[in-house]
Amino acid sequence: MKTTITTTENQVIAKFTGRLDTAAAVTVAEEVKPLFEVIGKEIILDCSELEYISSSGLRIFLSIRKEAAAHSSKVIVRSINADIRQVFVMTGFISLFEIQ
Amino acid sequence: METLDLHCQLMLEEYREVLPVLESMKTEVLAQLDKVLGDSGLVVTAIEARVKTEQSLAGKLALKGSKYATLSDVTDLVGARIITYYTYDVDRIASMAEKIFEIDWANSVDKRRLHQLDSFGYNSLHYICRLPGYDYRFELQLRTTLQHAWAAINHDTGYKSGIEIPREYMRRMNRLAGMLEMADDEFSRIRTELTDYRRRVQTLVKSGKLDDVLLDGDTFNSYLQAGRLNTLNKRIAAINQAEIMNTPLTGYLSILKALNCHTLGDVDRLIKRYEDDAYLLARHQLGNTDLDIISSAIGLQNICIVCILSTGGGKIGLERLFDALNEQNQQNAVLAELTYNQASALPFMQNFKS
Repeated sequence: MKTTITTTENQVIAKFTGRLDTAAAVTVAEEVKPLFEVIGKEIILDCSELEYISSSGLRIFLSIRKEAAAHSSKVIVRSINADIRQVFVMTGFISLFEIQ
Repeated sequence: METLDLHCQLMLEEYREVLPVLESMKTEVLAQLDKVLGDSGLVVTAIEARVKTEQSLAGKLALKGSKYATLSDVTDLVGARIITYYTYDVDRIASMAEKIFEIDWANSVDKRRLHQLDSFGYNSLHYICRLPGYDYRFELQLRTTLQHAWAAINHDTGYKSGIEIPREYMRRMNRLAGMLEMADDEFSRIRTELTDYRRRVQTLVKSGKLDDVLLDGDTFNSYLQAGRLNTLNKRIAAINQAEIMNTPLTGYLSILKALNCHTLGDVDRLIKRYEDDAYLLARHQLGNTDLDIISSAIGLQNICIVCILSTGGGKIGLERLFDALNEQNQQNAVLAELTYNQASALPFMQNFKS
């Protein structure tokens, strides 16, 4: 599992590659901490190369969203595959995130 | 600026010496006001405080220095101001201030009550207060946002500048004060009536008279606060011993209306009719996963899915649901197909299998 964070003028993009399962979540939770400091920008969670997400991964996404809301930032989940989109539906979080 | 007499110069000197004390008093006053407002849950437009500047004090002494025997007779060396949304909040905060500060009633004034029947103008409640441990008093001004706007603009356009204000200008400003007083009253009335409306809705919801309550954002919130979806959500959470995360359900309002729910009674019947199948759908989807976190939207979402499928809405109906819950997206068609296929295994779909 690999997390890459890049920053542009108006956006911070976190790209997730691989399987965000329980084992990987501990490391990813640390790696996404810079996103908690983002103020007033769009935070893009680029999932184009994310293969799988577990409950622990969902919790990371939820914590990013919570911190972003507190810092007037907006979170967009981008390019999730059908399986992960289905996870968002099964858990009821499809209406919480802006998913593109 | 004209030269101050010796008496005033001595007061100005004392002011310089006690400036740190005044700054400390300002901080303490702000902290106490912040706390009492925070504890009450009352939301205001602004709380602000300042120590009178030396220039402002010198100006005041130049105009009416002989009025003050000592510096402590100047009651606005420290000034605090709370700007409220509603007129009745001014009185609520006044009551709180009376509990935390010692009020100098002889010098406090309610400018709102000073007007004659046929006059309008500056409206504000001024309390002269004392904070235990300090020799100096401070002024607390309480006013609404509209009263503040009037006072600020009136000040900006010349009041207190020493320039005589033409009568016509005064008349127009006072006319505006009268209009803003009416607007303040109307805002307060709207707020009171809305609060009454919400209480009536809550009573109807509690008493189960749901057919009498039209579905809108307010009434839907009251319905949700009554916990009508909690049982279903807890049943679904029990499938995987999942944690339930509270999420807003306001996005479902338009969906419920599209599903012909016009009153809370309609929503209640929809839930009762489909909750068992909504649970079965969740069990079918989550049962073979280890997903142990769900949204509090899950129950209502599944009810909508079951309702759409049970009424023949099919994949297109589901796609529209996902479009409404999230933005329109090509993947929503894939999602609708997946959800439809999963639901096809459930009893409620037996009549609709193709």
